[in-house]
Amino acid sequence: MLRKLTEIVTRFPKSTIAIFLIITIFFAMQFPKMKIDTDPENMLEQTQADRVFYDKVKKEFGINDLLVVGIVDEEVIFNSDTLARIARITDEILRIKGVIIEDVVSLHTSDNVTSEGGTLVVKRFMENIPQDRAQIEKLKKDLYANPFYVDKIISKDGKAASIYIPIEKKDQSFRISKEIEKILKTELAPNQKYYIAGLPIAEDTFGHEMFVQMGITAPMAGFFIMLLLFLIFRKPIALIPPMLDAMLSVIWTMGLLIGMGFTVHIMSSMIPIFLMPIALLDDIHILSGFFDRYPAIKDKRKALIATMKDLYRPMFFTSITSAVGFGSLALAPIPPVRVFGLFVAFGIMAAWLFTNTIVPAIIMLMDSKKLDAFLEKRQGRISFADKMLKALGNFSFNKAKIILVASVLLLLTGVIGIYQIRINDNPVKWFKPTHKIRIADDVMNKFFGGTYMAYLMIEGDKEDTIKRPEVMSYIDGLQNHLESLKIVGKTSSVADIVKRINYVLHDEDKAFDVVPQSQSEIGQYLFLFSMTGDPDDLDNFLDYNSQKANIWVQMKGGENIQMRDVEKSTTDFMRDNPVPKDITIRWSGLTYINMIWQNLMVWGMLKAVLGSFWIVFFLMVIEFRSLRMGFISMLPLTIAIVSSYGFVGFAGKDYDMPIAVCSALALGMAIDFAIHYLQRFKAVYRELKDIEAANTFMAGEPYRAIMGNAIVISLGFLPLITSTLTPYVTVGTFFALLMVFSTLATLILLPAIMRLLGKSLFRGRI
Amino acid sequence: MKAIKILLVLSLFLSTGFNQKLSFAQNELSAVDIIAKSRLAFYYAGDDMRARVLMEIINKDGQKRLRELTMLRKNYEEGGNQKYFMYFHKPVDVKDTTFMVYKYPDKDDDRWLFIPAINLVKQIAANDKYSSFVGSDFTYEDVSGRKPEEDSHTLLRKEKLGEKSCFVIESIPEEPSEYIKRISWIDETNFLPLKEEFYDKQNELYRKFEAQELKDINGILTITKRVMKNIKTGHHTKVTLQEVEYNLGMEDNMFSERYLRRPPLEWIR
Repeated sequence: MLRKLTEIVTRFPKSTIAIFLIITIFFAMQFPKMKIDTDPENMLEQTQADRVFYDKVKKEFGINDLLVVGIVDEEVIFNSDTLARIARITDEILRIKGVIIEDVVSLHTSDNVTSEGGTLVVKRFMENIPQDRAQIEKLKKDLYANPFYVDKIISKDGKAASIYIPIEKKDQSFRISKEIEKILKTELAPNQKYYIAGLPIAEDTFGHEMFVQMGITAPMAGFFIMLLLFLIFRKPIALIPPMLDAMLSVIWTMGLLIGMGFTVHIMSSMIPIFLMPIALLDDIHILSGFFDRYPAIKDKRKALIATMKDLYRPMFFTSITSAVGFGSLALAPIPPVRVFGLFVAFGIMAAWLFTNTIVPAIIMLMDSKKLDAFLEKRQGRISFADKMLKALGNFSFNKAKIILVASVLLLLTGVIGIYQIRINDNPVKWFKPTHKIRIADDVMNKFFGGTYMAYLMIEGDKEDTIKRPEVMSYIDGLQNHLESLKIVGKTSSVADIVKRINYVLHDEDKAFDVVPQSQSEIGQYLFLFSMTGDPDDLDNFLDYNSQKANIWVQMKGGENIQMRDVEKSTTDFMRDNPVPKDITIRWSGLTYINMIWQNLMVWGMLKAVLGSFWIVFFLMVIEFRSLRMGFISMLPLTIAIVSSYGFVGFAGKDYDMPIAVCSALALGMAIDFAIHYLQRFKAVYRELKDIEAANTFMAGEPYRAIMGNAIVISLGFLPLITSTLTPYVTVGTFFALLMVFSTLATLILLPAIMRLLGKSLFRGRI
Repeated sequence: MKAIKILLVLSLFLSTGFNQKLSFAQNELSAVDIIAKSRLAFYYAGDDMRARVLMEIINKDGQKRLRELTMLRKNYEEGGNQKYFMYFHKPVDVKDTTFMVYKYPDKDDDRWLFIPAINLVKQIAANDKYSSFVGSDFTYEDVSGRKPEEDSHTLLRKEKLGEKSCFVIESIPEEPSEYIKRISWIDETNFLPLKEEFYDKQNELYRKFEAQELKDINGILTITKRVMKNIKTGHHTKVTLQEVEYNLGMEDNMFSERYLRRPPLEWIR
């Protein structure tokens, strides 16, 4: 059937190309509809329980997206000039459209509740700018006497102040942050530094970097691959078929993805980079075979048909196994990973279609005379690389036993290494340490209570449950416990407010800095609090019916391990200190959500990899019609993957999202080398009927093609290293490592196995 | 001279459109006069006043908090000092809480709160320009008024609000305030404010006051239903006045700390 296709496309090359280009235009027309999605919550399904709960918490407690401005003066914030600057900055920020005026928290806008001469006084920390020493000391005293605000709007050492700016809509954060930055630049003195942090900023920046990635890194990778191809074939015209194949498959895949209404997420933005090198692998085999045969046949069409005949099976199986490898990601419970896997799989099969249609069509259109001239020159030239390949072929054949022993040892070492693996991720660390966002994050965590938010939600079974003294005391106890943990910088809750009112009502007597022990007292204190500020001041901490309360937990680090420790420690506390009756306590917040999807991903990926391992194995058994051959074909990649992950374990690199994704990819790609090797070996052995002779032949053209593939695939991802986002860097390096490992494993291990088992394997099959 | 005047009037007439009748008699009132008269009609009606106040505080999801209180008010001079006394019936956990305000037009109020759970009277000092009145969308200032001199007023136009002819007045605070602009629709006949719109620092409408029901109580026209809505948060507060009575002859000593602890039963019912 494929042979018929080859005959048709080689007869009508121009029409073939025209038809595909027209279809491509249709896919390309979808591009303007592209929507970028950088919301980390989308790592979870819309219906995933923790995500649904987090959405509910955000809605019920009026939690808006937040920008945080930090202003640092290494001298001290407390002087009239600096305070006046901060006040002006705050006033101007309030004027920016989209800022939720009432909810801005800062020295200049937040109320302090104190007791002065028996009167309960509610006033802004800094309504007017303190002018003399006495006023400044008063402000300092006010601030540091109110634990609710220390480490929140003022740092303990007095060198940093911050402004919390909730915004109405997340998609305005870019504009608002630009306007804030302009204000900060004009108002601050040269020695004062500012930092803007907050999730919306990180997301926006990330989206921007993703565009850069797709607009610059991907074309750069394309150019780089072209260069590699040129080095392999040394003929510019040979670059056209693979490049066209790669470009079309990227356009088809991204066009389909966008056209079907999927958003471009961190994962799907990597599709072009992944597809390009994979798409043109088969083309290298066609070109390599064609260039070998053409000088003898001297007829492009015949040479092509002859070349393609040998390649239908390996090309189909290498494509389908790669597609299965990526497609297995569809089993992961992370929607963006799923989309990525399925569409790359589609792209690989599209590329396979192009390999069987456009590529031969273009070769048909090549100028025969130039081709002749080029190939004559090429013949009879034995390069240094060829000698190396020959040596490699001899080495692995002669040292078969040692190689097998070494492989087993390597496998065992890899397994030990895998046990050392630490599963961990932190989306802020997706930016490089020198990135503005990372720096802002570090500084803010140094001066303040922590930028990583988690929420501990306390829910009662009926109205006013939270006002019960034992519940309120329990909240207070939980907070004390949380704050004793090193990673937790600060916690805030309705209990803090009640305690503060109690303390202030009793003329700031330390004995009353506690949760009162009667419900009417708590109710009346909250009522009093509601008389002092905005009607929604309490909303972040207490719901409308006082049935649910929310403890804000600010952490100084957002790594999954850190969140897991906090969660575990809280569970221990709840076990040692029984939770009051009819109360349920549950974690939420972005830091928690990140941990959840991370967990889901690790197990999801493992499942995906194991699943695709079996499918690929099954395909191999069909392909070779032999259980043993199927098993042998899986060996090199098993060793490569196990030892690469073992290396990750030994190196102490965290097992994060990009590392996890690589495993499924490596599986589908690494098998290609084994397929090509074993297919070719089988065919040659059938001809020569001698293992050693077959091995010598393999070290020629087949090795060249396999090495060509290996070079393109491992170096093709290297441009990712230049990216400003660490997931790309990780994927680039780790994938290159995986590919180098699997090429070596294939070219060293398989000849050794062939020497030892070849005869019995192929006995009776020839 | 006269010709110019006629011309001026004519051009004004033309430019403002024919449907707007120009009443010279009322136009003699300046914007400040209108605001001052409105303040007296709204905040200083009668010598004293008693009402049962029902307050529904509603968030954007439609969840409600209820407040029910008896309010007593005594005026000391027109546009001058006032005293307020409030007794809370609901919510249940704040029952018996009482609250007293001495209102001084020229300085911050004095306020006292009695907290029954700890049997404590506490004086409270808080900014009445922005602090919420018992957790509602009304500020203290919305409840007790603002001196006309604190803003500069301009009569924008006159227009009908439903059936009622209104002055539309723009007031811009002299000192920096929570809002940068307030537009009031004031009934031409009785000077009660029927609608007010507040613009925030981003020059966006963020709060809106509406008088929804007016009743004649012993010859004094009184707004018995009003609503304050925060446009931006969707939060709003509905206030209903029941059993309104004027000129009951309240004694001055009722507004004292002693009565905070032991509210006069015959007054609060």
